[in-house]
Amino acid sequence: MTKLPATPRRSLRRLRLTGATGIAAAALVLAACGGGGGSSTDPAASAPAATSEVDTLKIANGVAIDTLDPAENAANESIWLDQNIYARLVQTDPTGTKIVPDLASSWETSDDGLTWTFKLNPDAKFADGTPVTASDAAWSINRAKDLEGGWGFLITPVTSITAADAQTVVIKLKTKHAPLLADLAMYAYGILPQKAVEADKDFFNKTPYGAGPFKVTKLEPDSNLVLTRNDSYWGPKPKISTVDVSIVTNDNTRVLQLQGGQVDVIENPPGNLVKQLQANPKLRVDLFPSTRVDFLQVPLKSKPFEDVRVRQAVKAALDLDAMNTLAYQGNAVPANTFFPYKMLYWAESIQAPKPDLDKAKQLLTEAGFPNGFKTDLITVSGDAAGQAQAVVIKDDLAKVGIDVTIQSYEQSTAYTNERSGTNGLGLRYWTNDIIDPDEVATFGADIKGGANTFSSYWGDEATTKAINDARSETDETKRAELYEQVQQTIADQAPFIPLAYAPFRYASGSWVNGFQVSPLGNYNDSLLSLTVGSH
Amino acid sequence: MRNLGLSWTRLANLVPVLFGITLVSFVLIRLVPGDPATQILGNRYTPEAAEQIRNSLGLNDSILTQYGIFLRSALTGSFGESYQYHRPVGEILVDRVGPSLLLVAVTAVLCTLISLPLGVLAAVKRGGAVDQGTRVFFTLGYALPAFLIGIVLILVFGLKLGWFPIGGYGTGLAGHLYHLVLPAVTLAIPFSTVLVRSLRASTITVLESDFVTIARLKGISGWSVLARHVLRNAIAPVAVVFGVNLAFLVGGTVVIENVFSIPGMGSLLVGAVATRDYPVVQAVSLVLAVFVLLVNVLTDVVHRLLDPRLSVAVTR
Repeated sequence: MTKLPATPRRSLRRLRLTGATGIAAAALVLAACGGGGGSSTDPAASAPAATSEVDTLKIANGVAIDTLDPAENAANESIWLDQNIYARLVQTDPTGTKIVPDLASSWETSDDGLTWTFKLNPDAKFADGTPVTASDAAWSINRAKDLEGGWGFLITPVTSITAADAQTVVIKLKTKHAPLLADLAMYAYGILPQKAVEADKDFFNKTPYGAGPFKVTKLEPDSNLVLTRNDSYWGPKPKISTVDVSIVTNDNTRVLQLQGGQVDVIENPPGNLVKQLQANPKLRVDLFPSTRVDFLQVPLKSKPFEDVRVRQAVKAALDLDAMNTLAYQGNAVPANTFFPYKMLYWAESIQAPKPDLDKAKQLLTEAGFPNGFKTDLITVSGDAAGQAQAVVIKDDLAKVGIDVTIQSYEQSTAYTNERSGTNGLGLRYWTNDIIDPDEVATFGADIKGGANTFSSYWGDEATTKAINDARSETDETKRAELYEQVQQTIADQAPFIPLAYAPFRYASGSWVNGFQVSPLGNYNDSLLSLTVGSH
Repeated sequence: MRNLGLSWTRLANLVPVLFGITLVSFVLIRLVPGDPATQILGNRYTPEAAEQIRNSLGLNDSILTQYGIFLRSALTGSFGESYQYHRPVGEILVDRVGPSLLLVAVTAVLCTLISLPLGVLAAVKRGGAVDQGTRVFFTLGYALPAFLIGIVLILVFGLKLGWFPIGGYGTGLAGHLYHLVLPAVTLAIPFSTVLVRSLRASTITVLESDFVTIARLKGISGWSVLARHVLRNAIAPVAVVFGVNLAFLVGGTVVIENVFSIPGMGSLLVGAVATRDYPVVQAVSLVLAVFVLLVNVLTDVVHRLLDPRLSVAVTR
């Protein structure tokens, strides 16, 4: 029997960019943030004041709220808001590398690893004051698991979720499942008040609530969401009483609203306005490490790319540093594997590719294309970073005789064309929903995983086996070995080519103290201690 | 009714037009590559999951079957559920129609207030300061793209002077109107250009006609001639220009709603097309079509009210 104690949370350090030194600092802090255990709590780093001078934090998001039903959520911005409203059994810590208690204060596994028992915190209450019971929890997880097109596929080994008594949730598995805690920490498995949800089919369209630190008091999905402090919350009370989220889709308007002091924090300021924002001493631009991996999709079903030497030649010709400079002003990190940067089981030992034109030419000659060939590169129009990457790729590949035609489509069309596996190179990206790499490994490298290995249609049995073994392996060292093998194989076989680890970008007023985003994109932890000064 | 140009046949003719619009928007959005399943699944796309979603949304039925289902439910006032928002489309429309209509209404009022005096003054004092001034100002306004005017207005009146909010829609009618001032001015600048120029032109024509000369010879005062004889005649053709442009204005709100982050129909349509939210695209195109047709019919009615000669021509 293993019993896992509560782990103290540690806060991410804020990262402020100022010109060239800022970029160096960015790399350092990116490195610091992702690190494993150990205490990196730095009291000097923006310790929030004891009270908040201003009671409300105003955030401007670029994307409308699709729904606040956690099981149905698809838009990232809504998912990040969800996590302020609905508590889960367990949650990820702000570094995105550890699982810590949420509603469940402790949990145990049976010796065969097939039965998990979670003890709920007896103080936990929903925002309406009713206690959180084990049957609410079991019902909520079952609901999300059974939803068609939802997230049930992550926990397929789960055979039953039941309430043993008012405070005990029992989950039974048919095979050992190492990512279980990471899966349960996901937003989709938020615990809902069963009676209230069942009583009102419009529950999520009105003023939904759960057992999180905030509850919804106003919901206009396309323009405005107001979160109010949940006074029944059992944990530390947030210092601000209200979070006012407005939807401002136009990038320039969001920046202007921040400059005018109409909002406190804006999501994703456009890259070309970052300098202007930094020049204003009252504002700052923050970069937070993310789980985003940009990659070059390679059409393995079409002629030249079915040969592994051609794919390796493409990889050898690419200059990831130049791409980083042009697309992300140097604020990203060149990708060495397809696992998110510094996340669990990311293989640090694998080297990011460096441009080697001689090697690329030699590989092309061996493959029978000494003079190169013509191909297309599909990009998403309006994606400024992607367009910049495409320009570098075209330039790099021209040096080894590969003539690339860039084709821009709007997003939906671009992805449909890429997914056929025959329509030329494409630019895509991945983001993790859980901290465990099971999800990215299954989607990216397991041909039987359902996603055709990121639509490359590449696969080999050893890799599929390694991913399956890693899923049921509970020994961390052995899991690490298996995942390193998977990452190395993908690096060698190059069915797709990881390009960059891009950070999340936010801008905020200097009067905001303590806004932090975790690598999964959620910022609910920081809203507990954040303060807003008058301005 | 008849002498207002609203014959039953006229109204009956609108039915096939609406029918055609639903058919075209229904087929067009399905012909565009990319599909809702791609959007719903994002980077969790697997062919099996996509197939499952297409099945549950009924997208694997023949396009005729799908259209039949759409028509049947549309006739009962239901437009289905949005793929993206998981809410009935009707509810979303109710939320979104208000801001767009209010924006169009405020713009129309603003345009009338600007154009009427300026157009007449420019005609009366041809080549004078008002005539030259409006010509230069509005030509410039017409030549600049609306989003640029919007950003400049935000910069000056929102950021620098702080007189108006920087985007958003506010709460309560007063709040809405306050937030709509800048976007309405943005839309009104190019719109007024057309109105001022056409009002000026038609006023000049009327001013030069014989009955005006006779009225003047009879000793009626200048302003009285202008108000009772000239304007009444000059405004009728301008009303038609106004109606046609009002229909165009609905298209113009798409960009402006985005710049000023107003939760209206335009931004809803753009978002729905991008995410292949078929039910929303179909419903919004239908609502916009109904609006444009209504404006056209009303324009005719107003035109006939202003110019009774047209009604006489019809009844003959």
